[in-house]
Amino acid sequence: MPLRHLTPPCLLAAFALFGIGTLGLRAGVDKAVTDAEGQRIAVIDRVRPAVVAVCFYGGEACGSGVLIDAEGYALTNFHVVQPTGSVLQCGLPDGLLYDAVVVGTDKVGDVALVKLLPREPGKAFPFVLLADSDLVRSGEWSLAMGNPFGLSLDFTPTVTFGLVSGVNRYQPPEGKGTLEYTDCIQVDTSINPGNSGGPLFNMKGELIGINGRGSFEKRGRVNSGVGYAISINQIKNFLGHLYAGLDADHATLGASVATETEDGDLGRMVVKQVLDEADAARRGVKSGDQLVNFAGRALTSTNQYKNILGVFPKEWRLPLSYRRGNDTKEVLVRLMGNSDAPVDKPAAEKPAPGRPAPKGDGGPKRPGLDKSPAKKLFVEKKGFANYYFNKLRQDKLRTAVAKAGDFAPLAGPWTLDGTIELSDRRGDFKLTLIDGADGLTEAKIVRNGIEDLVKPLKSNAPLGELQLPQGSGGMLSAVYLYRKLLTQWNDGFEGGFDHGGHEPFYPPPASGKTAERLKDLRVDCEVIRAKHGPFEAKFYYALTDQTLLGCEVTVSKEEEPCELYFADYKTVEGRSLPHRVEVRTGDKRYAVLTVKTYTLGKKAS
Amino acid sequence: MNRLLLTAFGLALVALQVEASDPFSKTADEVNTRTVKLFGSGGFRGVANYGTGVLVSPDGHILTLASQMLDTSELIVHLYDGRRIKAVVVATEPELDVALLKIKVEGKKPDEPTGLDLPFFDIAAAAKRPLSTPGDWVLAHANEFEIAMRDEPVSVQRGVIASYSKLSGRKGIFDFGFTGNVYVVDAITNNPGAGGGALTDRQGRLLGLVGRELRNSLTETWINYAVPIGATVEVRDGDKVTSVSIPEFVASATAGKYKPRPRTVATAGPGGYHGIVFVPNVLERTPPYVEECEPNSPAAKAGLKPNDLVSFVDGEPVGSIKAFTDALRKTRPGATVRLEVRRGDVLQTVEVKLEDAPKPAAVPPKK
Repeated sequence: MPLRHLTPPCLLAAFALFGIGTLGLRAGVDKAVTDAEGQRIAVIDRVRPAVVAVCFYGGEACGSGVLIDAEGYALTNFHVVQPTGSVLQCGLPDGLLYDAVVVGTDKVGDVALVKLLPREPGKAFPFVLLADSDLVRSGEWSLAMGNPFGLSLDFTPTVTFGLVSGVNRYQPPEGKGTLEYTDCIQVDTSINPGNSGGPLFNMKGELIGINGRGSFEKRGRVNSGVGYAISINQIKNFLGHLYAGLDADHATLGASVATETEDGDLGRMVVKQVLDEADAARRGVKSGDQLVNFAGRALTSTNQYKNILGVFPKEWRLPLSYRRGNDTKEVLVRLMGNSDAPVDKPAAEKPAPGRPAPKGDGGPKRPGLDKSPAKKLFVEKKGFANYYFNKLRQDKLRTAVAKAGDFAPLAGPWTLDGTIELSDRRGDFKLTLIDGADGLTEAKIVRNGIEDLVKPLKSNAPLGELQLPQGSGGMLSAVYLYRKLLTQWNDGFEGGFDHGGHEPFYPPPASGKTAERLKDLRVDCEVIRAKHGPFEAKFYYALTDQTLLGCEVTVSKEEEPCELYFADYKTVEGRSLPHRVEVRTGDKRYAVLTVKTYTLGKKAS
Repeated sequence: MNRLLLTAFGLALVALQVEASDPFSKTADEVNTRTVKLFGSGGFRGVANYGTGVLVSPDGHILTLASQMLDTSELIVHLYDGRRIKAVVVATEPELDVALLKIKVEGKKPDEPTGLDLPFFDIAAAAKRPLSTPGDWVLAHANEFEIAMRDEPVSVQRGVIASYSKLSGRKGIFDFGFTGNVYVVDAITNNPGAGGGALTDRQGRLLGLVGRELRNSLTETWINYAVPIGATVEVRDGDKVTSVSIPEFVASATAGKYKPRPRTVATAGPGGYHGIVFVPNVLERTPPYVEECEPNSPAAKAGLKPNDLVSFVDGEPVGSIKAFTDALRKTRPGATVRLEVRRGDVLQTVEVKLEDAPKPAAVPPKK
């Protein structure tokens, strides 16, 4: 429309005289339209610097991404960094190529976190804010940015603008059980090859998703008006895992669920079968039960069930409501890993005969790659996308935890005195942890004249002994591991010690009553996973202030873990210690220990 | 006075601003309650066994495209609230490319009221509204790619009316039979399963039904179009010309009184018999050289000879055997086609009067 630019200024002036000039700077265009356009341009200008062109080492375009913090961490698709390998480069709209490394991956969810290295040490990166994607509605506007077809040679992203066509969409896995898009956002915003991994924004410029897929059929692999973005809320659930360098896995409930009836009204979702080893079975879920609500969302259809399940990492504990007869019960279930469950397990990924096995670093070797400074930020370890970042998170947590006091010198005998409250009685207790002359630690509790004693590392100790006191699930073993963590940190755990990303934790109410809604108890935590002797432990640190809120100790996989919940922290000789410890196993509270005095002995030198 | 005027302007601007940047969530929700997901026959060779329809009566009448998906006794409807129910085809009008379905309620006869009270589009009222014009924004609401099931909402897309005109399209090898005007849309709305979905304005008022997956017969590119809700087409029955429109069709089919108009022209078929045997068709674009003519066939009677190169059919160039075959599909026995044939260096015109295909010789039964 060259006409509107050619409008003589005198005509504009005439309009202004009549008060119509306020309608817009360009004659004939509503001010509302130019305003909306202006706002859109302003938003695009604001977020553009954070849009990443993901490249092979050397700068060949591969996909898109977006920076989410000032340190240079950026989200992209897993399928974008799969061909590049762990060491890659990323272009930013400043026209420069940055060295980068893969930090964490979520293969099923098709998400990867990469870190860009600043070109000057400590220089902050531009980044975007994450939206609450549960608030996105179909019919709302969206902006997609990225580098489709590798068009941009100076890394200035392409922007496309369109509608959200649907939310909570389910798109089944594409090959070998990976790249499953659950609860995703569907857009008519143009998504083309190369847009993969790039950001989808709302009109405030907040990140609502990561573009990664489209529905293609007859028209070839170009925009067909149907693109999909992984919701940012799903990614938030995995973000702790990704930052911790994990190769994160999704989850199953360990139960098969189906709609009760095909025809008629929306069916009830009914449990068809539960695996014996599934936590759901331990929580009392049986075949025939109706699943009402899962993770705070009502269950209505199979797609909905897959959507809800698909957005969580394995091992998360989430509230599940089920109905049997007229009773509805809410329980906390631990999700099983996809690969733990014997169902639907893909055959071992053997390379097809005649083809070389894929290399860990993938793709053809790129000249100069060995000299990339990003190589120093990559440590290979089984089960991790990049162990370097796991160690980094461990160290960060350790530094934060140090404010609770240095327990390292206090590796001598420990004595806790106080009162114990069991289900049917209360009384005084004395709990002692003493390293014996044989090198074995002895954990002992005396209450009401009853004594229980455990030597957690004694060879061939029967399971029942490690779980003492009876009914606690292994309280003495758990306290033993707690002392080990405080005094020795990773040195105490020869079987393994790593950062487990983020998980929700549900400290029970101090009143002892059952909570009205389990989700009200939820505190998001950083997790340390540790192995020692026959034990596997998880320690939960509040995300907000790194207070150790509790731990979960598994003595045997066939048995319920023992859970300790720490509260009422007070300072004892400059060190912060919990003075209320609730001991639980299964769905039951075993006891509450109220500690009056801690006597922590120095290590005999 | 001046001041007052300005204030009035200010208010108008606020209202406009809301409209310019407002999302279409509310419209999408409202239209979704009047849209149904359909599941029927198909599911092979790129033919979708799912589609979309719009509710046109509170009693559960559904308007959709007259597609092959309806050729089943097990037609399933998913309503916006997740209800899954059966439906039957009440009437089909190929000239308009639409069909009317009715939800079947257990224990009720097809012509009895269903007792349902569903949200619906008033087709008669929709047809009375003025046509949309090129440049208008539109929304398409349809279950493309079978993304939604049960209570999941259909997809919503935004586009602009590119033109209101007749189409020259084809669907596979078939000509597109709809001869009326359509809305051509600039967005990729006509995906698998989208046919029969609602094309609405920004307020959710029904403008048309999303059309089929169709290619432009000139450029081979995909076309995105919708059949306008007031569509009227002329139907030729011998010398008589009558017309039929979607509102009439819906009104009379809903009342159970619709009789499809007789059709004299098939839109697709093998075409008339000519009897030309071409050279073996080995290339993508094997030129249509005559190898021989079947004895006594129309081609033989017209004097076609081996080595003749057929260059034009009724004035349209044909560069390959395939193009010739496609052109002949549009014909019927009894029709005369004019062929331009190159024989040696000379271009000759030959008229061939097509016949019914001869009955194949009896094949002896297998043992």
